[in-house]
Amino acid sequence: MNNHLTMRSGNPALQASTFKKHLASSVESKMTISGTVNKTGISLLLVIISAGYAWGNPAMHVLMLPAGIFGFILALATVFKPTIGHITVPAYAVAQGILLGVISMYFNALYPGIVVQAVFLTFGTLGALLLAYKSGLIAATENFKLGIVAATGGIAILYFINFIMGFFGSGIGIISDNSNMGILFSGFVVVIAALNLVLDFDFIEEGAEMGAPKYMEWYGAFGLLVTLIWLYLEILRLLAKLNSRR
Amino acid sequence: MDNPAIYLWIPIIIVSFLSIIKMISKGGSEGKPWIRIEKVEDNE
Repeated sequence: MNNHLTMRSGNPALQASTFKKHLASSVESKMTISGTVNKTGISLLLVIISAGYAWGNPAMHVLMLPAGIFGFILALATVFKPTIGHITVPAYAVAQGILLGVISMYFNALYPGIVVQAVFLTFGTLGALLLAYKSGLIAATENFKLGIVAATGGIAILYFINFIMGFFGSGIGIISDNSNMGILFSGFVVVIAALNLVLDFDFIEEGAEMGAPKYMEWYGAFGLLVTLIWLYLEILRLLAKLNSRR
Repeated sequence: MDNPAIYLWIPIIIVSFLSIIKMISKGGSEGKPWIRIEKVEDNE
């Protein structure tokens, strides 16, 4: 039954001990894959609606920074208290939607049509990775998980250093420039973000198999949402780099 | 390079294609046929 003996995920929300801390008792209802899929769908719908609203209303643009900070606080609240996921995850989806809507509008103003391409590529990647996971083409083995977690950690450290360097008017070139190395780096980050989806699928399947409580469905949806938002932003960045060379 | 997004679809299509081939070759995850035609009884 359990072929996910030890769980690893590059996603900070999805850690090995997460389900063990929240195992359901025999009387309460348990986490299911279909329930998690439904909650992921609801969260994605909230992201799309709020992103569309923010895109079409210039007044919402001042909310970009507050939405980002609020989203970060809600993400921390979800990680540390998954029992309130039914409140924090939809609110996180709305906050991230506002942020994505404003970011997308700016990217689209620079390179018209880029956002539609990025959205289709994100969902295309999700579909392809879901097929690959279900078919067994990509299996979440321990070495695979270790590799993805290490690569994701490396990228996170690089982004953090870049963030700190930003305060001194500097930065790591390959993250934002459109040189060959910059595009290769962005391509690598997109691949790692996409492969994190496999870890998320594995995490959700593991939760359902272990009989985690119902509220963990919101947590699984949250993990998938975090990865999808990251993947979308990285695809958007890669497309912007490629378009800037035309 | 007219539309760079086209190049990003190539790995997605390859992964999807290989997954479908793998699914077909092992007959689905539970070994069940994708399409099943059931016999209709007279009283149905």
